[in-house]
Amino acid sequence: GNVTETATGLPVPGVNVIVQGTSNGTTTDFDGNYTISNVSNEDVLVFSFLGFVTQQVPFEGQSTIDITLDEDSATLDEVVLIGYGATSEQDATGAVEKISSETFNQGAVVAPEQLIAGKSAGVQITPGGGAPGQGGTIRIRGGSSLSASNDPLIVVDGVPLDQRGVAGSRNALNSINPNEIEDFTILKDAAATSIYGSRASNGVILITTKKGKKDSPFQFTYDLKTSIGNVLDKVDVLNADEFRNLINNTAGTDPSLLGNANTDWQDEIYETSVGAIHNFTATQGIGNFYYRLNFNHTAETGVIRKDYYERNAFNISLNQDLFDNSLKLTLTSKNSLDKNKFSNGGAIGSAVAFDPTQPIYDETLPFGGFFEFNRLSGGEITQQNLATRNPIALLEQTTDQNQTRRSITNLNAEYKVPFLTGLKAVVSAGFDYAEADGDKFTPVFAASNTSNIDQFEDYSNINRNLLLDTYLNYKTELGFFETDVDVTAGHSYQEFYSTSNVFGTEQDQIRALPRDINRNSLESYFARASFDINNRYLISGSIRADGSSRVSPDNRWGYFPAASIGWKIHNEEFLQGSRVLNELKLRGGYGETGNYEIGRNYGYLGLYTPSQGGARYQFGNEFIGTIRPEEYDEDLKWESLINYNAGIDFGLFDNRLSGSVDGYYRETKDLIATVPVPAGANLSDQLLTNVGTTVSKGIEIGLSGDIARSEDFNWTLGYNISFQELEITELSLGDDPNFFIPQGGISGGVGNNIQLWKEGFDPTTFFVFRQVYNDAGQPIEGAYVDVNGDNQITEADKQPYKKATPDYYMGLTNTMNYKDFDFSFTFRGSFGNYIYNNTQSANGFIEAGTNTPSDYYSNFNSNVLESGFVNSQFFSDYYLQAADFVKLDNVSIGYTIPGEKVDFRASLTATNVLTITDYDGLDPEVFGGIDNNFYPRSRRFVLGLNFAF
Amino acid sequence: DLELTPEDNRETAASAFEDPAAYKQFLAKLYAGFAISGQDGPAGDADLSGLDEGFSQYMRLYWMVQELTTDEAVIGWNDGTIKDLHNQNWTSGNEFIRTMYSRIMYQIAQSNEFLRQTETSVVEGRGVDAATQANIQVYRAEARFLRALSYWHALDLYGNPPFVTEQDPVGAFLPEQTNSAELFTYIESELLAIESELAAAGANEYGRADKAAAWMLLAKLYQNSEKYTGSDRSSDVITYTEKVINSGFTLVDDYQKLFLADNNMNGAQNEIIFPITFDGINTQAYGGMTFIIHAAVGGSMDPDNFGINGGWAGLRTTSALINDFLENEDDDIETVADERAIFYTDGQSKEISNISNFTDGYAVAKYKNVDVNGNAGSDPTGDFPDTDFPMFRLADAYLMYAEAVVRGGGGSESAAVDYINELRERAFNDDSNNISSSDLTLNFLLEERARELYWEAHRRTDLIRFGQFSDGGVWPFKGGVPQGTTTQSFRDLMPIPSSDLGVNTNLTQNPGY
Repeated sequence: GNVTETATGLPVPGVNVIVQGTSNGTTTDFDGNYTISNVSNEDVLVFSFLGFVTQQVPFEGQSTIDITLDEDSATLDEVVLIGYGATSEQDATGAVEKISSETFNQGAVVAPEQLIAGKSAGVQITPGGGAPGQGGTIRIRGGSSLSASNDPLIVVDGVPLDQRGVAGSRNALNSINPNEIEDFTILKDAAATSIYGSRASNGVILITTKKGKKDSPFQFTYDLKTSIGNVLDKVDVLNADEFRNLINNTAGTDPSLLGNANTDWQDEIYETSVGAIHNFTATQGIGNFYYRLNFNHTAETGVIRKDYYERNAFNISLNQDLFDNSLKLTLTSKNSLDKNKFSNGGAIGSAVAFDPTQPIYDETLPFGGFFEFNRLSGGEITQQNLATRNPIALLEQTTDQNQTRRSITNLNAEYKVPFLTGLKAVVSAGFDYAEADGDKFTPVFAASNTSNIDQFEDYSNINRNLLLDTYLNYKTELGFFETDVDVTAGHSYQEFYSTSNVFGTEQDQIRALPRDINRNSLESYFARASFDINNRYLISGSIRADGSSRVSPDNRWGYFPAASIGWKIHNEEFLQGSRVLNELKLRGGYGETGNYEIGRNYGYLGLYTPSQGGARYQFGNEFIGTIRPEEYDEDLKWESLINYNAGIDFGLFDNRLSGSVDGYYRETKDLIATVPVPAGANLSDQLLTNVGTTVSKGIEIGLSGDIARSEDFNWTLGYNISFQELEITELSLGDDPNFFIPQGGISGGVGNNIQLWKEGFDPTTFFVFRQVYNDAGQPIEGAYVDVNGDNQITEADKQPYKKATPDYYMGLTNTMNYKDFDFSFTFRGSFGNYIYNNTQSANGFIEAGTNTPSDYYSNFNSNVLESGFVNSQFFSDYYLQAADFVKLDNVSIGYTIPGEKVDFRASLTATNVLTITDYDGLDPEVFGGIDNNFYPRSRRFVLGLNFAF
Repeated sequence: DLELTPEDNRETAASAFEDPAAYKQFLAKLYAGFAISGQDGPAGDADLSGLDEGFSQYMRLYWMVQELTTDEAVIGWNDGTIKDLHNQNWTSGNEFIRTMYSRIMYQIAQSNEFLRQTETSVVEGRGVDAATQANIQVYRAEARFLRALSYWHALDLYGNPPFVTEQDPVGAFLPEQTNSAELFTYIESELLAIESELAAAGANEYGRADKAAAWMLLAKLYQNSEKYTGSDRSSDVITYTEKVINSGFTLVDDYQKLFLADNNMNGAQNEIIFPITFDGINTQAYGGMTFIIHAAVGGSMDPDNFGINGGWAGLRTTSALINDFLENEDDDIETVADERAIFYTDGQSKEISNISNFTDGYAVAKYKNVDVNGNAGSDPTGDFPDTDFPMFRLADAYLMYAEAVVRGGGGSESAAVDYINELRERAFNDDSNNISSSDLTLNFLLEERARELYWEAHRRTDLIRFGQFSDGGVWPFKGGVPQGTTTQSFRDLMPIPSSDLGVNTNLTQNPGY
């Protein structure tokens, strides 16, 4: 018989042909022919070949059995984006990972980055607090900088977003409807990212949205997800009786200041959140014109009263192929209107600290019906100025809302040049425009308003980002060594503009702040060449030149080269036909990238800033406004990062087990950090400048296993683990090994920092006294290890100790299908990370509640009963607590009913299901490692319904 | 286009001075540097970023290092190493000592930039008219005065600070370290050089420095010369305090008026030689007088009496200052006839058992944001006072003159006695407590300085001059123990902050740290 490919009709050599259940088999020859003997009736012949659907044919005495094999879309060598082009997964030489919609996290996902939390080695996504629509923090390989941004560059359908986000928005990514995302491609190492040059040091995430399909029938889909959520836990504070008891038993207190109520303030501020996400989608392909339209409405309340998020988004994707497919036009446009109501975040801290013996309401007081701590002033009742504020009044009496309109639109034209086969020209023009308007209001009678007029603020911001990319791509095959060549070269120009305006009150005055305008631009040239020699050896090199307006003309242009190689070992003769190993590739790369998010637009220029508000000085009878020369560094430039990466990709047993292992070493030089400048040398005490070096290294392992693979039952487990280490290796112009810069401000006393930057340590390292304990294991108040042995405890005895970032973290993803049922879940874990429990340290000592500035008491963290501390012990490592955790992020079960006219699917998802941790506080996952005023994440149950017509 | 410059209200150096008014605005920034913490009053666009903006304000820090380290003040808060100041166990990592140093050097750097931008050649190149150029010459003299004032603070506190002038560039270079003797000479030469260029005593606009301010600073420099250079300059103290005394300043009739919201117009302005001005509407900060008044109010004190909206419950004094007013330590301070003893004792204990408790230690009610009629200052919210800080005043010149006489600097002993008695007659409303020449001893003068000038940011310098700051002198909680203990003499100088030692390899730490 003969075996050919269905699509092309070409013969397929090397196909395994075996008699099922025996060792009797053969393979097809170069022309796809095969011969097999000793076959009996009722035997089944199995035809299998990598990348094709396996076929089974019962033998019924035929002398010839010709077979056409279909490509298996599941194992088809996938196309992955690499920036200004694409390659195949097989041919990628950098650390690149694509995560497609099939494996996204389930649930009522509002923030797009949550779709891929836990899915990729080396990518850590820390959800923000529990506020509706809240964004998280994305770190690829832990970030590379200190003061500059550590956020990856995000490119949506070819438009790099402004890394500074959009003012007033809860999450800059929220304008991208998660429902419309086709896939994320994560570029991790410099070999992959350096085509993005000065913005690529923290990795790049390419987001592709869904498009219509050519020649496809009209389809309409309606998708609904409704959710409810509740907080799982509250901060442990004293209840009213415990509080009374403690105040009564503390010498020097005045119990007459206590009230008669029993109020659980945390119960009062939290409520059940509800949310609904609607998606209406229409797609169709009419000949060479195809489109996808989506309307999304998302509305969600928070678990804190008055918190609300709403998104109305309209996505358009239009494609038109012209001139016999030689010109492809793509228009994608993501338009959204976000509405936010923000609850007063101060209520979280107030609810923890407010005296539980006081009532919520008191109509006799002049604070709009609420109880507040008060005093008499000139015969009238007024608020005590520094007292804790009634949390419910904070929520009910402050209005804080905004609207953001945003459009991310891109028109892409791809033209196959007729006179040279393989050459195409691409022009991509895009813009990202966002406009936010917001207002805040606190009435004059609110106790939180200490002025004599209503307090308000009206603000508006515009962020605009314009892009024009043009590039040429040429693909050809060279005669010698069967070398495929893929060359790209182009130019890019992007301009970022932002402006903001604030008009509002400052105490008893109404004032307009001067409009703030910032503009910066980036011009770039880039080129890349990739060679695939004999389908075995891959060589790729790229270079980008970036010129930025943020940098002085003297070092305006930066050059970012990269080179990488790959060896597709599975295509070598000696592995041909291996039944165990079907894929094995070694990769290695080197690249240089930059970090351009240096925080200021004119950092190299000496500027003068006029004064605002009450910052005038009296000369005679006049008050003169002042001008201030700003500190500057003429030589300010981007950080540069060099990166080595080595990796191996493998697939075993017909890719039933596949995976990659990557190891990297990175060095960030010319680190941008706000550091103390030699006193007197510049025009401030600290300067944003290029100083120091960090080194990071890590190992990432990603595995995927198909435990079951059949028509009715499929079961895939994905697992990834990442080990990483980041260390500051140089921090100052001097060489003092003891030099450090305090970091990590904490609550409870001004200017208190709990972390430090120091050479030899991770940038999130804590800086604490080592607590001394008695034989019973109780901390002895004020007793610390006298590290320097000078018989007194001063801050010279503080030690760098533990850190907020994990030593390693992992993700486990399960997806299972049985007939029309599907079941999935995601676990995430983090290990070696510590948290400073600021809720305990700030309110967990007697004086915190009793030694207040005026006549009131404030509640204690229950930890006071354990520690027995009387005075503050902010810097004790007693409060530094291990925060290793394993979380079951989501569990989802779904059922699909295919119908004749309507396909129907129902799903039930629970998110934030389970957290296993020893940490005492609300949640062990707090970005930065300081737990204070944390907006609790809720556990949510989501019902999803999907109709496709 | 990659050549972009600001499009909002920020200016480049080239465009900022197109308007000649900019020179006076820049000069105002140098003065405001002592009063305000940034470009957005009261807070929001800080000058310094190493510490909370309110804490980083010049007068707040200067007041803290000059008062909290002594018998005159304690603070009850939990902000970083704030309590180490009174305990006298600070290290080179202390953020308040560090930020004081940063603030002083910031002020110097700003002054240097002013001098660079007002060089005759630069100004002429911008086509500034002759009248403005003449004004700029006076501004330059004032800028040099302000720089000398800050350098004097640097000399007094740190001894061997880095040294930069307008000859240096702006960048990240490593300034050279100077030493006390050289810095003394530099400050002296600067003040002598500008003496003729400054406005005559009393002739400048209110708030701006004149010749008398420079003389007063010279006198301060000479008064402490022994500590700075090893040589006594008491005769120069006589020379310059005489100039001050004879230049038309007069004591205000009521001591309390010096510390009220209207002290720029209630008569106190005739005694105050150089104020740091504050205003409830125009000159707002969370440091300076806002700090000194709010932080001193707590316990059962009624904020209304201080013209503020609430106390911050931090500052009190120790029994050592109280005892300076008492004949017997058991006497009641409330019965003392000396009107300078402005303390609040209701609900407060004289002795401190726990520094964190506001009611431990008598409160000081000297500074208020009310005028002579008891009306609150101009800020209707009661946050920011109008009260100006009397940096230099005539009474201090009297006491300095008397001390220089006793230290053998010449002058007239009878004049010295008369000056002291002028102060005491004001304090006691009659001459019943006048002194005679036999009372005029160094010990008496140190105590009298405390009685007259407590909480005016002179105490640390005074105690050091009298050898009473570190290895001499004991007061409650000095050295971190309730009864107090002496500390080592190296603490007469503050440490060079470790943060600056870490970046500037030209610097050497002061001995002992």
